[in-house]
Amino acid sequence: MTQSGTTPELKRWYPGEGKVTPFRLALYALVMLGLISGAIRLFFGLGATTNLNDAYPWGLWISFDVLAGVALAGGGFTMAATIYIFNLKKFEPLLRPAKISAFLGYLMFVIGLFFDLGQPWRIWHPMIMWNPNSVLFEVAWCVMLYTTVLGIDIFIMALERWQKHDWVKFFRDIYLVLVVAGVILSTLHQSSLGALYLLLPEKMSDLWASRAIGPLFFTSAVIGGMSMIILESIISAWAYKRKPEMDILPSFAKGLGLVLLVYFAMKVTDLYARGATVWSLDAPHLAFYFELFGCVAFPALLLYFHEVRNSQKGLLWAAGIAAFGVVFNRFNVSLTSYGGYRTFSYFPSLVEIIITLSLIAGGILIFDFLTKNLPVYKSELAE
Amino acid sequence: MSKAVLIDTSKCIGCRACQVACKSWNDLPGKSTTFSDTWENPKFLDSHNYTRVLFREISQPGGDLKWQFIKRQCMHCLTPACASACPVGALIRLPEGPVVYNDDKCIGCRYCMMACPFQIPKFEWESAVPLIRKCTFCADRQAMGQEPACTSSCPTDALLFGERDKLLKEAHRRIGAHPGKYYPEVYGERTGGGASMLYLTTASFDNIGINHLGFRTDLGDYPHGLYGREWMSKVPWVALTVGSLAVGLHYLNKRRAQVQSQEHKEE
Ligand code: SF4
Ligand code: SF4
Ligand code: SF4
Repeated sequence: MTQSGTTPELKRWYPGEGKVTPFRLALYALVMLGLISGAIRLFFGLGATTNLNDAYPWGLWISFDVLAGVALAGGGFTMAATIYIFNLKKFEPLLRPAKISAFLGYLMFVIGLFFDLGQPWRIWHPMIMWNPNSVLFEVAWCVMLYTTVLGIDIFIMALERWQKHDWVKFFRDIYLVLVVAGVILSTLHQSSLGALYLLLPEKMSDLWASRAIGPLFFTSAVIGGMSMIILESIISAWAYKRKPEMDILPSFAKGLGLVLLVYFAMKVTDLYARGATVWSLDAPHLAFYFELFGCVAFPALLLYFHEVRNSQKGLLWAAGIAAFGVVFNRFNVSLTSYGGYRTFSYFPSLVEIIITLSLIAGGILIFDFLTKNLPVYKSELAE
Repeated sequence: MSKAVLIDTSKCIGCRACQVACKSWNDLPGKSTTFSDTWENPKFLDSHNYTRVLFREISQPGGDLKWQFIKRQCMHCLTPACASACPVGALIRLPEGPVVYNDDKCIGCRYCMMACPFQIPKFEWESAVPLIRKCTFCADRQAMGQEPACTSSCPTDALLFGERDKLLKEAHRRIGAHPGKYYPEVYGERTGGGASMLYLTTASFDNIGINHLGFRTDLGDYPHGLYGREWMSKVPWVALTVGSLAVGLHYLNKRRAQVQSQEHKEE
């Protein structure tokens, strides 16, 4: 054990640290509002505080906190696979921030789900009550285990920060196990979140009700993860007045462009194979065109250009559109597609919206705290 | 052998005795109601109404209008999608037929509501810690050797309780004995993989116009719950493949990098 008490402080150089900016205040205010709304939700119940009903059992929380949140948190396993499995070591600087945002994404999932469940205090039931036939059962287990894996990852960073070298060494030795477990678990639950919708093809629009929804969800989660890594790298660099990793981001963005192309090809093949009615001008179709052409093909095209890949603004736009596209896809699958079938309509209530916004705000605050207190960026790593 | 109910809608007079019987047996509270566009009451199934009779007027070939009364409740599917969906196994099908729900297991995720092709499970939205509610096929009464409250209360024998295979035979006998009277398919015989509620109707649910009100006619014969089970049966293999690929590629790529850096040094 290293001596405690005399642990040297991490070198910190974040300008304006501790200053209370209006942005920060707004985030804190949102979190406070979220806590209040959460308490109201728990006290009065779902019926009184949300606009969910028997026709729309799943709403904003499932679409955004669960489906979209997990897809955008796909950066953790994508980066781990890139670096440890495909051995592309040059991307290493992007790994740690990706892990932190992945962990926060899953934390958001768990908290969002807690408020969404009718019996939140039974959230642990799938641990001991098993239904191996249920896709949701598998999702529950994978998410539980993967969140633990990400938690251990963050914990290792904390151990480095506290200079517990023996422990860090222990975890480094078994690190491959964590990486492989993370990749398996992510592959499974990212695709299974789509497979949830395999059971209800009759309630969905033809545009999204595909037998191939599992692989489609998986691929778009890789897109979500990669674009979040780019966004987060550039935005946090601006916020902390660092230089973004412009030496590696362009080639990483090339990878994103490729995955977008693959996804586009998968989508088109799927539609063609199923013979879905593609050309029409009603609302679901317009949403579908926007998703496929505007948010998949367009960013892929953007990233084809050398100038876009090598400019921070260009990357920000391309990755931003791609990430938005993934979120939009999750809303389309869970609400647009389903809405075409129901005669009822649904719009989230204030409590639903506030809790979702406060989860995002909380995520940003924790991200900020962790990046300031843990060795996340390359220059801080004691070599 | 599993139990079933044969619902001959041509015999139903729309008296709603079954609704009342269901309410009183299951101790469900009454609710103040509003007018609906037909005579039906209540307007929707919900956590306090496990069954209701749909009223529809459809025009006959001669131009007359004729009432159709269709009782709706859980279909008690032979391969229930709800049971395939539920992550904690709160919904299960008993060998005798009823698909029953366990209050103590449910986490309130509402996936069963999403998955049920007949839109049956309902949620206690008014409660702070809500549970799922739906028709139980009076499993408690059946366990005591009694028939369901609704079938026992039907004054015209529109609801017939019995063994599923016998009732199916009876249904086809009626279709054959009265040519032209019945729509020639028994809804529930194969619908969605088969159900315990078997409907004999004088017109298809498409024609009656309730095929989007819980009586889907486009479900096919394949139970949708099995799509989830098929997916789940692949999961171990996917895990194994991804795992071994990951480990294999890790060592392969590492080795390749080592060889490359060696070559660089030697050059
Ligand atoms: S009708 Fe719905 S709730 Fe009833 S058994 Fe079938 S799937 Fe389950
Ligand atoms: S709401 Fe309850 S019964 Fe329905 S799927 Fe979820 S845990 Fe199962
Ligand atoms: S079987 Fe029992 S629970 Fe179901 S509708 Fe009839 S009376 Fe109600």
